[in-house]
Amino acid sequence: MGVGEVLSRRAFLGRAAVGAFGLLTLPACGPGGPGHGVGPGALDVWVWQDAADKVQQAAVDRFNASGAGRARLNRVPGDGYEDKLRVAIGSSKAPDVFFNWGGASVKEYADAGELLDLTPMLQADTAFGKAFLPSVLQAGMVGDRYYGIPMRGTQPVLVFYNKAVFADAGVSPPETWDDVTALIAIFTEQGVTPFALAGADAWAELMWLEYLVDRFGGPGVFERVKNGDVRGWRDPAVLRAAKAVVDLIERGAFGHSFSAVGYNAGGASALLSRGRAAMQLMGSWEYANQLAADPEFARGRLGWTTFPTVTDGRGDPDAVVGNPNNFWSVTAGVRDPEAAFAFLRTAAEDAYAADLVGQGAVPTTTDAASFLDRSADPAFARFQYDLVQRASTFTVSWDQALPSAQATGMLTLIRKLFAAQLAPAELVEALTALPRG
Amino acid sequence: MNGRRHRGPGIGGIAAVGVLGWLLVVAVPVYAVVVASLRRREDYLDVGPLSLPERLTPENYLDALRSGFLGYLMNSAVVAAAVVALVLALAVPAAYAVVRSGTRLSAHAFRLFLLGLAIPAQAVIVPVFLLISQLRLYDTLLAVVLPTAAFCLPVCVLILTAAMRDVPEEMYEAMALDGSGPARTLVRLVLPLTRHGTSTAAVYAALQAWNGFLFPLVLTQSESRRVLPLGLYDFQDEFGTDVPGLLAAVVLSLLPALVACLFARRAVVAGLAGGGGR
Amino acid sequence: MSSGRPGRAVPRDAGTRLRTGRPGALWAVPALGFFALFALAPLAIVAYLSFTSWNGLGAPEWVGWANWSRLLSDRDVREAAWHSLLLTVGTWAFQTPAALLLGVWSAGRGRHRAVLSAVFLLPLLLSSAAVALVWKSLLDPNFGLVAEVAPVLGFDDASWFSTPEGAFSALLFVLGWQFIPFHALLYQGAARQVPEVLHQAAALDGAGRARRFWSITLPQLRNTVVASSVLMVVGSLTFFDTVLILTGGGPGTSTTVVPLLVYRNGFEGFEMGYASAIAFALVLVSTAVSLLLVRLTGFGRMSATSARDGL
Repeated sequence: MGVGEVLSRRAFLGRAAVGAFGLLTLPACGPGGPGHGVGPGALDVWVWQDAADKVQQAAVDRFNASGAGRARLNRVPGDGYEDKLRVAIGSSKAPDVFFNWGGASVKEYADAGELLDLTPMLQADTAFGKAFLPSVLQAGMVGDRYYGIPMRGTQPVLVFYNKAVFADAGVSPPETWDDVTALIAIFTEQGVTPFALAGADAWAELMWLEYLVDRFGGPGVFERVKNGDVRGWRDPAVLRAAKAVVDLIERGAFGHSFSAVGYNAGGASALLSRGRAAMQLMGSWEYANQLAADPEFARGRLGWTTFPTVTDGRGDPDAVVGNPNNFWSVTAGVRDPEAAFAFLRTAAEDAYAADLVGQGAVPTTTDAASFLDRSADPAFARFQYDLVQRASTFTVSWDQALPSAQATGMLTLIRKLFAAQLAPAELVEALTALPRG
Repeated sequence: MNGRRHRGPGIGGIAAVGVLGWLLVVAVPVYAVVVASLRRREDYLDVGPLSLPERLTPENYLDALRSGFLGYLMNSAVVAAAVVALVLALAVPAAYAVVRSGTRLSAHAFRLFLLGLAIPAQAVIVPVFLLISQLRLYDTLLAVVLPTAAFCLPVCVLILTAAMRDVPEEMYEAMALDGSGPARTLVRLVLPLTRHGTSTAAVYAALQAWNGFLFPLVLTQSESRRVLPLGLYDFQDEFGTDVPGLLAAVVLSLLPALVACLFARRAVVAGLAGGGGR
Repeated sequence: MSSGRPGRAVPRDAGTRLRTGRPGALWAVPALGFFALFALAPLAIVAYLSFTSWNGLGAPEWVGWANWSRLLSDRDVREAAWHSLLLTVGTWAFQTPAALLLGVWSAGRGRHRAVLSAVFLLPLLLSSAAVALVWKSLLDPNFGLVAEVAPVLGFDDASWFSTPEGAFSALLFVLGWQFIPFHALLYQGAARQVPEVLHQAAALDGAGRARRFWSITLPQLRNTVVASSVLMVVGSLTFFDTVLILTGGGPGTSTTVVPLLVYRNGFEGFEMGYASAIAFALVLVSTAVSLLLVRLTGFGRMSATSARDGL
C-alpha cells in the first residue's frame, strides 16, 4: 500500500476511534512489512479455487524447481474470492500475484495505486508480450497501462447440451430463437427441463441477458453503459431482452425450481449430466467441471453449440459473451518484483499451455492452436478456439466490467427479474438509477 | 400461544404427539445425512436420499479427512478453547464487581454490557477488520478469538451476574468477618457456589466460537487458518456435485462436539438449570 | 437496573470492615476495556463511516447525511426490514411454544425421556454453517429429501420451496430446527426447579395435567420465557449465515434480511459507507428492541430467586 494511504488510514482510524485505544501508536503496515507474503523470497499467489487450479499448482511447482524464485499457491474458495481480495489488498496479508478477471475488475485497485504497472516489463521484454493474442492482452489493461497477464483459457459462454436427451427426443440443438421455443415445448412435454439454470447464482441468470442484449442490439449497447453512460440501459434491446427472459420463464424453459439451484453446489450441472435438463447456458469451464464430476458423461454425452441467432437483431451472430480470459496481476507492495515477473513468464510457457489444454481450456497464447490436438477433447478445444478467433466482438461479463457497486446492484435487479418481482420496464428504469460506487 | 381450554385429548397426549413429531423432524434428516454420507456420489444423484444404499463406502469420510478436515477441526478447537478461557477470565471478575462492589461505575458497566447484547457482529465487521489488520493479526487464529470473545461477553456477564446474586448475603458477610479480601472471597466462596453459572457461560461461549462463521470468513485467509464452519462452506466449491462428501464432513464435524457433550452433558444441563433464567 | 440486593443494606458500623471484602470497580475494567476495544470502538467507527463514502481502498470521503437520506428512500432497505420483522415474529411464534412443550416434557422423569432428550440435542451441536448446508442439500428440489417426500405428501414436485413463501417457511423451519433445542434446554432446566410441592397440592385439588401446566408450570417459567425471548428476538434480527447459505436471500430478494443487505452492500458492492449506515440503523433498532424487552420485563434484575418473587 502507498505511504500516503497508510497515513490517511491511520489518521482516519485515530479520528474514528477517538484515539482512546492507542491505535495511533500502532505501526501501520507499510509496503513489504513483515508478514507480506509467505516468508522470505516466497511469492504469495492467489488463485480462484476450482477443478482447473491444478494447472496453476503445476506452474508454481515448476517455477519453484527452476530456481528463479519461490512461490506458494493459495487456493481461495470462489464464493468469497472478491471480498477476500478487497479485504487483503492494503493489509499486511496482501497477495503478491493474484487471479482476476481483467482490467475492469481491477480498475479500482489500479486507481488506488495498489497494483504494479506491468507496461515497462512488457516493453522491455517484447517477446513475452507477443506471446499472447493482442485482443486478450488488451482486456487486462486499465486506461493505457497493462496490469494483467492472461493465465487461463478463454471462457466464452456456450450452450451445453446432453446428447442422449436430444437423441431420445429425436431433435437437434437449437440454431435460431424459433428452435429454442420449439424445443422448450418438446422438452417440457416430456418432463425434461429445457435449460438447467443455476438461479441461486445471479451471474448465471445474467448470462441470458448478456447474450440476448448482444444479439438484439449489438455490443454497443453495453459498451455505452460500461463507459459510464447509464442511458445505454434505455436501448430498446435491453427491454426486449428482459421481455424474452420473462417469456422463457413463463414457457417453463428453466423449470419451476431454478431459484433453489446453485452452480457451485453442482446443482445445475448435475441436472444436465443426469438428463433431467436438456441444455445449460454456461461458461466454457462447465466442461472442466463435468470432466471432474462425471468423466464418462463429459467425454461421451456432453455436447456444445453457440448461442442461437435471433430474427431482426442488430447483433452479429458470431459475437461472443463471457470472459476473454483470467489474468495475473501484481500488487504494488510486492517485495521482489523480479521474482514476480519471472513467475508471470510461466504463463507463456509451452508446458503451461499444454496443461491448460489438458483441462479442456483454450489458452490465449498466439501459438495455442498447435496444442489443441493434445486436448482431452480436441473437438471442444478446436470449437472454442475457432469461435473466439471468428468472434467480431467478445463482450466481457457485465458484472466484471462494471464498478462493484453498480455490478452488485445490477445482480440484485436481475435476481428480481427472474423471480418476477420486477417487470421488464421496471428493470430498465432501476438499472439506470443504480449507484456507480 | 394456543389457548386450548377445552378438555381435548389431555396435555399428555398433545405433548406425546408433539414430541414424537419433533423426534421425526430431528431423526429423519439425521438418518438421511448419515446414509447419504456413506453412499457413492454417483448413486446419490440417481437414487433418492431415503432408500437404503446397497453399497456403503467409507470413501467420503476418507476424502474429507484427506482434504484438510483435521486441520480445520484443530483450529476450531483451539479457537473455542481460547474464547472460553478469555471470556471467563474477563467476565468472572466483571460480574463479581457488578454484583459486589456497589459502586456506580460497576452499575454503569453492567448497563453497557446490556447494550452490547444487541450489537450484531456483521454490523461492525468492517471496523473489526480494520482494527485486526492494524494490530497485525489478520489471518491468525487470534484474529478470530478476540472479537468472538468480545461478542460473547455481554451474555456471559449476564449469566454470571445472575448466578452471583444468588449467593446469600450472609455468606459474603461471613467471609468478610473472617478477614477475607475480595480475591479470596471470589476463589473460596463465589466460584464454588456459582459453578453452574460458570459452566453455562462456558458452554455458551464455546458454542458461539464453534459456530462462528462471519469473523473467520472475513478475518482469516489461509487454508492453514481455516476453521470448521468455513471449511464446510468451502467444501461446497471443492466438491462441486459431491453432496455425500459434504455430508460426510458435516458428520465428522459433529463427532467431537458429541463426545464433548457426552462428557459435559451433566455439567451443561445442570449449568443451564442453575443459571436460572439463563 | 439496580443490583438485586444493594450492599448498602449492610449496617454502617460493619461498613469499614466489610469494605475490605468487596471487590473494587477495577475488577470490571479488563472486561470493559476489552469490550470497548472490540465491540464499542468498531461501533463508533461504523457510526463515523456511515457519514462517508468509501470503497475499502484509500481514505473514506466525508459525505454528510447522504447515506442516511439514501437509506430512508431505499426500497431494498424497507423490504429487508420487513423481512427481518417477519422472521423475528415468525421465529418467536414457532420456537417458543415448541421449545416450551419439549422442555417441560423432557424435564419429567423417566429413562426414555433422557434418551430422547439426547436425540433432541443433536442439532445444537452443529454449527450454523453445517445446519444450513445439510438443509440445503435436503431441501434441494431435484436431488434432496423433499424431492422424494413431496410426491408422498401429494405435491407434484418440490418446487414449492422455490416460491417466496416456501423459501421463507424453509428458513423459519431450519432456524427452528437449529435453535429450538437450545431454548428447550433452558425450559427444561427451569421446569426442573418448579417445586414438586406445588404440583402435589394442585393434584390434591383435582387439577388435571393441562390445568397444572397452565396455572403452575407456565407462571413459574415466566422469567425463562422472557430470557429466551430476548435471545430469540435479538438473534433473529441478526441472523446471517443461515440465510446466506440456505437461500442467498432469494428467490429474487424475497428472503433478504437486513444483515444480508449489509453484507451485499459492504462486501460485494464495496460501498462500505452505505453498508455502515444500514448496519448502524440495525444496531439502533435491535438495541431499542432489546432495551424495551428488558425494561418491560425486568430482565436486568432477573435471577433464579427473584423469579419466585414474581418480580
